[in-house]
Amino acid sequence: MLRFALTRLLSTIPTLLLVSIAVFGLIRLIPGDPASLIMGDLADTAALEAARQAMGLDRPVPVQFLIWLGKALTGDLGNSIASNEPVLDLVLRRFATSAWMVLIAVAIATLIAVPLGMLAARRQNGALDLGIIAMSTLLVSIPTFWLGLMILLTFGLKLGWLPVIGYVAITSDTKAGLIYLIMPVLTLVLHEVGIIVRMARASTLDVLRLDYVTHARAKGLSEAAIMTKHVARNAFGPTWTLIGLILGNLLGGVAVVETVFTMPGLGRLIVDAIYARDYPVIQGCLLFVAVIYMVVNLIVDLLYPIFDPRVTAQ
Amino acid sequence: MSSATRLTAHILPFALALWPGLALAEPLKVQLNADIRSNQPGVNRDAGSDSVMMNVVEGLVTQGDGGRIVPALAESWTVSEDGTRYAFTLRDGVTFHNGEPLTADAVKWSLEKMLGDENFPCRNFFDGSRGAKITEIAAPDARTVTLTLETPNALLLPLMAQTQCGGMGIVAQASYNADGSWKSPIGTGPFAFGAWKRGESIQLIKYAGYVPHGDAPDGFGGRKEALVDEVNFLVVPDISTAIAGLESGALDILPYISPTEGAKLRDEKGLAITAEPHGGIVTMLFQTDDPLMSNLALRKAFVAALDMPGLVDAIMGGLTTPNNSLVASKSSYHGDVQKQGYSYDPAAVPALLAEAGYKGEKITILTNRRSAINFDTAMIAQAMLQAVGINAEIEVLDWATQLDRFNSGNYQVMAFNYSNRADPALAFQAVTGSKAENANAIWDNDEVTALVAQVTAEADPAKRQALFDTLHQRFLAELPLVMLTNSLDVSAARPGIEGYRTLQGIVRLWGVSRS
Repeated sequence: MLRFALTRLLSTIPTLLLVSIAVFGLIRLIPGDPASLIMGDLADTAALEAARQAMGLDRPVPVQFLIWLGKALTGDLGNSIASNEPVLDLVLRRFATSAWMVLIAVAIATLIAVPLGMLAARRQNGALDLGIIAMSTLLVSIPTFWLGLMILLTFGLKLGWLPVIGYVAITSDTKAGLIYLIMPVLTLVLHEVGIIVRMARASTLDVLRLDYVTHARAKGLSEAAIMTKHVARNAFGPTWTLIGLILGNLLGGVAVVETVFTMPGLGRLIVDAIYARDYPVIQGCLLFVAVIYMVVNLIVDLLYPIFDPRVTAQ
Repeated sequence: MSSATRLTAHILPFALALWPGLALAEPLKVQLNADIRSNQPGVNRDAGSDSVMMNVVEGLVTQGDGGRIVPALAESWTVSEDGTRYAFTLRDGVTFHNGEPLTADAVKWSLEKMLGDENFPCRNFFDGSRGAKITEIAAPDARTVTLTLETPNALLLPLMAQTQCGGMGIVAQASYNADGSWKSPIGTGPFAFGAWKRGESIQLIKYAGYVPHGDAPDGFGGRKEALVDEVNFLVVPDISTAIAGLESGALDILPYISPTEGAKLRDEKGLAITAEPHGGIVTMLFQTDDPLMSNLALRKAFVAALDMPGLVDAIMGGLTTPNNSLVASKSSYHGDVQKQGYSYDPAAVPALLAEAGYKGEKITILTNRRSAINFDTAMIAQAMLQAVGINAEIEVLDWATQLDRFNSGNYQVMAFNYSNRADPALAFQAVTGSKAENANAIWDNDEVTALVAQVTAEADPAKRQALFDTLHQRFLAELPLVMLTNSLDVSAARPGIEGYRTLQGIVRLWGVSRS
C-alpha cells in the first residue's frame, strides 16, 4: 500500500507542473494587470511602466515562470501583490477556514444522505422514494447563494438566533466558532445531501438487483439484516468515490457560501485575487487546490478496499 | 422566548443607556465591501484603504468643507512672494500614537520617505513629471517645516490634501522596519490602527493622547474628537448580507451603497440614507482617435440623444442632478458658465448623423459590473442611442480589464468614473494631455493642455475662474467626453448613529456617536 501511495504521489508531479504552466500562462492572457489596478486613474504611461518593472512584470513570461517555479520548489510561493503577505501563509490560513466548514458539512451530509438514499432504493417507486427523489432534485436545483441568503435571513435576521456577520476561528474559540459555522454548514449540507442521496440510491438499487441479495432473501434473512449486512457496504463504494470528488471540489473553495456568510475562506481568496490580478496568490491557490484534490482522491482510493475488499490498493 | 431571556432583552438596553461608559465600549461597526489593500497611506491603496487611513493619519494640510484647504498638523503656513517656498508651522502638543512628539524633523523624515517610495502613485505630482516639483524639504526649527518648489504651483496644497495620496499623512519612523520596509502606521489622527485580521476586519482604537482643536469638524480638519472607543471595519462583500447585518445590528454603518440601492433602502425599508455629493467624475469617455468617434458631428449626435436629467436621475436614484462641467458642482469655481450643459435634442440627431456620414456602424460602449453607476449608465444610454438610430452595443468587462482598456486607449466609448480631485484644475489635468505620451489621455489638444497648465500655476481666484470658464466653453464645443454628474456617496446608518458623514468618498469617524 505504501508503494502504491508513493507511486500515486510521484505521478502527481507532472500534473502539478502542467497545472502550474497552464495557470501561469492563462492568468497572463487575461487583460489587465496588478500595476494598473494599483495605480488606478492616477496612472500615466511612465508610472505604469515603472510599477510593472518593479513587480518584474516587464520580463518575458517564461522567465517569470522559471523564477516562480524555482522559488516554489523551495516552498516559497512568493508574496501577495495586494497585501505583501507570504502566499503560503495566506493560503494555509484561508484553507483552514474552508476546510472546517467543508469537512463538517460533508460528514453531516453523508450521514444524512446515505441512509436516505438506501431507504429510497429499498422503497423504490413508493411514495417515500418519490418524496426523497423530489427533495434531492429540489436541493440540487436551488442555487447555493439563494439558499444561503434565505437561511441567513431566516435564522440570522428574522429569528435572530445566529450571528449575521463575522467569523470566529474554531481553533481560537470552539463554541463561538461552531456557532458561526452553523449557517454556512447548513447551506452546504442541504446542497450536498441532494447530490449524495441520488448516488446512494442508484448504487443501492444496483446492489439490490444482484443474485446474492436474492439468495439472502431466499435464506430467510430479514430485510434489515440484508440492507445493513449485505447491501450497505457494497453499495457505499461508488458513493464514497463521489464523496471524495465532492470533498476535493469543495476544499478548493466555496466562494459563494463564503461570500454570503463573510467567511475568509480559500474560495473568496481566489476570487478576490483574480479580480485584483494578484498573480502570486492565484498561482499559489490553484497549485494548492490541485494538490488537495489529488491528496483527497488518493486517500479515497486508499480507503476504498475497506468498503469493497475486491478492490485492492495494488 | 423564556421569561429570563425576555427580561434580559428588556433590561439590557436601559442598562446600556444608563451606563455611558459601557455604551461607548460597544465598537462602531462599519462595513467594507473588500479588505483594504494595505495600511500604508497612499501606497497600494483603493477607496476603502483611503477611508480607513484618513482616520489614522494626518497631513500638514487637509480639505475642509467645500474643498477649501484648512490646517491639519500645520496650524498655519506662509508662501514666499515668488510662490516657491512654503513654510508650515506645526501645531503644538501633537504626539504620534506611540507617544513620540511630532517635530519638524519627524515631518521632514516622513515626507522624504514617502516621496522617495517608488510605489507611491502620487509621487509624480511632486517630482515635476505631472505637477509641482519639490526640490527641498527642510526643518529650520522644531516647529517649522519648509517645502521649496522649482517653480510656483498653485496646486501644491490641494495635491498634498488629496485622499488618494493618503492626505500625505505623516507617520512616525517606527512605522517602518529597520530595513526600511513598511510595518504598520503610527500616525497622529484621532484613531490608532489596531488589529487587522486580513479578509475579516480592521480595528481602530481611539487615541487617548489626541488633542482636538477647533470648534467643529470642518471637512477632514477642524475638531476631530473620537466619541467611540473603538471602530471595527468588517469586510462584508455581499450587499444583501450587509443589509441584513444593518437590520440585525451586526453593522452600524454601510458607507458605500449604490445610489439606486440607497433609494430602495429608503423607500422599502425606511432606513435613514445620507447622500453626500463629492468631486468624483461620472463620465462616458470618447476615444477621439477612433475612426468613428473622432468625428465631432457624431459625438454631437451622441450627446444630443442623451436625456441628461433622465439618465442621471435613473443612475443616481434621484439623489442628485446632472453637472456637465468638469468643475465639481460644489466647487467655488462652479459658476454660471459651468451651469451651461448639453442640450437634449433628439430631433437634431438625424441631421448630425448625416453630417457625420454615419451609416449605422456599431459603436461599442464598455462598462463593468463593479460600478452600478457605470453599468446603469451604459444600459440607459444604449436605449437612448438606439431610439435615435445609433447602433450602440454594450460590452461588459471585469474592472481590471476595463482599466487596462482605459490605460491603453483601446475603446470607442466607455462608462467610467474618475475618483475625486481636490481642485478643478486636477480634474482637467486628469483628462487632458497628449495621447502619444499617455494612452489614457482623453482630450488631446495642445491649446487646452496649455490652458490647464496655466490654471495649475495660477493662484489668483479671479484669473482662475476666467480660465475655468474658457475651458468649460471649449469642453462643450469639442465634446471630448460626456460629463454626466459628480459622484455621490450614499450611506445607510442604524437609528441612533449620530454625527456620521462621508467626505469625498471617505468615511469620517470622528464626531460619530451612538445615542
